[in-house]
Amino acid sequence: MKPVAGSGLNTRKSHRLGSIRTRLALLYSILLFGLAAIVVGSIYLSLSRTLSDEPVSRDARYSDMIVDAEPASADPGGDSRPVGGRLAAFEEEVNRRALDRLRTYSVTAVAALFLGSLAVGWYVAGLVLRPIGRISSVAREISATDLSRRIELGGPDDELRDMADTFDEMLGRLDVAFESQRRFVQEASHELRNPLAVLRANLDVVMADPDADTDDFRAAGEVAGRAAARMSALVDDLLLYAHHERTDSRREPIDASTVVVETIEDFGAAASADGVALQHEVAHELLVVGDPVALRRVLANLLSNAIRVSDPGGRVRVTAGQDSEMVWMSVLDDGPGLSPEDQERVFQRFWRGDRASAREAGRSGLGLAIVRQIAEAHGGQVTLRSTVGVGSTFTIWLPRFVDS
Amino acid sequence: MRILLVDDEADLVDAIARGLRRNGYAVDTALDGDEALAKATWTPYDLICLDITMPGLDGFEVCRSLRQNPPEGVAPRILMLTARDTVEERIRGLDVGADDYLVKPFAFDELAARVRSLLRRDPGRTGAVLEVGALRLDTATHGVKRADRQLDLTAKEFTLLRYFMSRPGEVVSQEDLLDHVWDEHADPFTNTVRVTVGTLRRKLSVEGESSLIETIVGSGYRLVEGGAGS
Repeated sequence: MKPVAGSGLNTRKSHRLGSIRTRLALLYSILLFGLAAIVVGSIYLSLSRTLSDEPVSRDARYSDMIVDAEPASADPGGDSRPVGGRLAAFEEEVNRRALDRLRTYSVTAVAALFLGSLAVGWYVAGLVLRPIGRISSVAREISATDLSRRIELGGPDDELRDMADTFDEMLGRLDVAFESQRRFVQEASHELRNPLAVLRANLDVVMADPDADTDDFRAAGEVAGRAAARMSALVDDLLLYAHHERTDSRREPIDASTVVVETIEDFGAAASADGVALQHEVAHELLVVGDPVALRRVLANLLSNAIRVSDPGGRVRVTAGQDSEMVWMSVLDDGPGLSPEDQERVFQRFWRGDRASAREAGRSGLGLAIVRQIAEAHGGQVTLRSTVGVGSTFTIWLPRFVDS
Repeated sequence: MRILLVDDEADLVDAIARGLRRNGYAVDTALDGDEALAKATWTPYDLICLDITMPGLDGFEVCRSLRQNPPEGVAPRILMLTARDTVEERIRGLDVGADDYLVKPFAFDELAARVRSLLRRDPGRTGAVLEVGALRLDTATHGVKRADRQLDLTAKEFTLLRYFMSRPGEVVSQEDLLDHVWDEHADPFTNTVRVTVGTLRRKLSVEGESSLIETIVGSGYRLVEGGAGS
């Protein structure tokens, strides 16, 4: 299959390259031919005009020569014309022949020049186009699954080398993007497979059991409901994550302190239900450029994590402020904290410290990955300080907006 | 045939365990790798269905550890159950000692067929049907016949008979039966084994047929070929 497709492409390639090569060669030789024709033509014209307009024999300096020569050249045979007239005819004949020869030579030379320039043009065009041929043949060989290849043109640092290098850089970026996309899809499908397996096994087993009673079906239905809830939470977060992977979301100058205070208010009830004290200390006028919905999501994810890991009687503290360049928002909990290894993994997609209970609560394992993604999409970052047994502090840093 | 089912999804483990029990297997469950390894060390399982992604020890590690320090007796067959489906993962699973690999989500019937297939890979037996004398047991359809008479057995009796039929003529002790036919919920101090063997013996022979299960006093039971009719 592949060789066939390849040869088809090759024919197309040579045809295309051939046509541009022909055009270049023709253009080159026509230009050269035109120039040469103009030069040769004008030489010929000016020469012929010079020769016919002013016959040498009428020049006063040579008329003596004609008179002197007259007796010697007297023809007894009897040419009735005077000697001057015959000399002029001779001179005209000489001029005509010289012009004839000049014309023949010129035409031959111009024709030869045309053919020669065609050959040189063809050769030079081929030489110039060869790297382009290489670039396009490599580009063709690179399919979406093998983006690891590069053109690596080499040679002198010219326009084509520049083009090939640009192309290589683009391939590098595409490679990274495709690879991360592929990994994400793979991870997402693994995550969806588990609840699907639960669903399928429960339905298969209860449907195949002729003795199953209402309670069995009810139990299977409950399990199916849980699996479905897990899948929809996962799909929601996957969509959210995919959405924020694009960088074209809404951007406007916003006051982050408003977002922080409003989000804290949203979580007030949840915190007091869990017996967790929610404190905050938020400076005013924290201007950043960003998407208020996304920022709210960041804070909500951090806050729900903090409240979840806190024991009843614990405390979650939210602070926000700014320095000369950055606005920061910080969520501090006095939960169990994270070991240094877990601190590295905590922002990874689908990482859950407590898989089983996370699943029951319908958590996708994408929360902190989304936080980091949004922070980075806003030109900021998220940092984590954590000590086992003391608690964790997550801080979001965003570039401060300065109205100019 | 006793199976250990290991997965951190409790909802999945419950459903599969129930299905496999209905198919006449004794099924124990474990929700993480450490629990699985502890159970497999103490009980000679015939088959272990092992999830790969688990908290603590993952499936690969459990499998490797079981293969490096095999429990006494016949090594258990290992069937990997996993959501990871890349070729590399499958190869890795088979290379650390798994006998088969099933990707989630799967149809329960496929799991049951693979379990049957793995469990019949005993020396000298390849088909789904066991035959001893006039007795004929189909492990796929669960049909049991003595000569032309169809026998109506409960799941436990079926399991017990299958175990006897896979060891015709051998003396099988009460401990063997507790290990391979009953699961972890059986109380070893009750007479459940004696009672079930008694019921099976009565179902196998009606009106004047010879008894097929002998009691060897002090050591256990033995399945004999017996006569087809009287």
